Amino acid sequence: MDSTLTEQQRILASDWGGGKSPFGTSWSKFMMWIFIISDALTFAAFLITYGFMRSISPEWPKQTEVFNMVLITFMTFVLISSSAVMAMAVAAARAANPKLAFRFLVLTIVGGLIFLGCQAFEWTHLIEEGARLTHNPWGVPQFAASFFVITGFHGFHVFSGVTILSIVAIRAAMGKYSGDGVENAGLYWHFVDVVWVFVFAFFYLL
Amino acid sequence: MAEHHDQHSIHYKTYLMTWFWLLVLTALALGVGYTHINATLKALLLVCTTLFKILVIAAFFMHLRYERLNLILITLTPLILAVILFSFTFPETLGNATHLIRVR
Repeated sequence: MDSTLTEQQRILASDWGGGKSPFGTSWSKFMMWIFIISDALTFAAFLITYGFMRSISPEWPKQTEVFNMVLITFMTFVLISSSAVMAMAVAAARAANPKLAFRFLVLTIVGGLIFLGCQAFEWTHLIEEGARLTHNPWGVPQFAASFFVITGFHGFHVFSGVTILSIVAIRAAMGKYSGDGVENAGLYWHFVDVVWVFVFAFFYLL
Repeated sequence: MAEHHDQHSIHYKTYLMTWFWLLVLTALALGVGYTHINATLKALLLVCTTLFKILVIAAFFMHLRYERLNLILITLTPLILAVILFSFTFPETLGNATHLIRVR
């Protein structure tokens, strides 16, 4: 009895006994991961719904005839590059180099703005050609509907990312930044990139 | 955590290499997209390149390779949900379901 631990003592000594962080991260980073996971669930539902609608459609328009694939590939390149620059911004912030972190953050924001500009151009072009949520000139109405919903939600995430990164960049310039803060914003930005990887493969290429 | 981060705080070279391989994988996905092969095989190849790309982004850019296993495991939940949703809905499309959607 004296040498063996009681059940309660065993629980208190474990990772879940309180006073420890079972996931080995700061609370803010863990919350960012939880947010990313819930957001990924939303996009998973969107993409599966799109797949379902596409497979029950008698035909699906050929994406290469509707979209400007050079522009889409350029947008993919810009987003992947900005993600790489963001990773470097986190490294600079961790190494306590706010000046370098600020420069990398500005580059990341520029990448996000270029992506948004390209998307605005693409949307304008398609809307001028007659694409609407309810109908479009190329085939089943679900084609343009899934296009606007999926790229619209993703585009809004890019916009939110640019906003968050601008706040982080301003704070970095003022010297009011923390490595954790930059890393959390970075995690969100990489997630936006991950979503685009899915959209690019399954909406534009498949 | 602070001492843990010092070891990998300046890994610009790793990020450049990650960036390079992501571009290679993107080119590969583009190649798959433009080749005229069986639709199922194409979908399978695209799923493979995409999963590989997100693995690279998560491991290197999102530092998941430095995290604990339990955090890595919970990030898999959206993928599991996607598989469940897909396997529940896809059999519905195999029959004569095309009458559900008409071209205008």
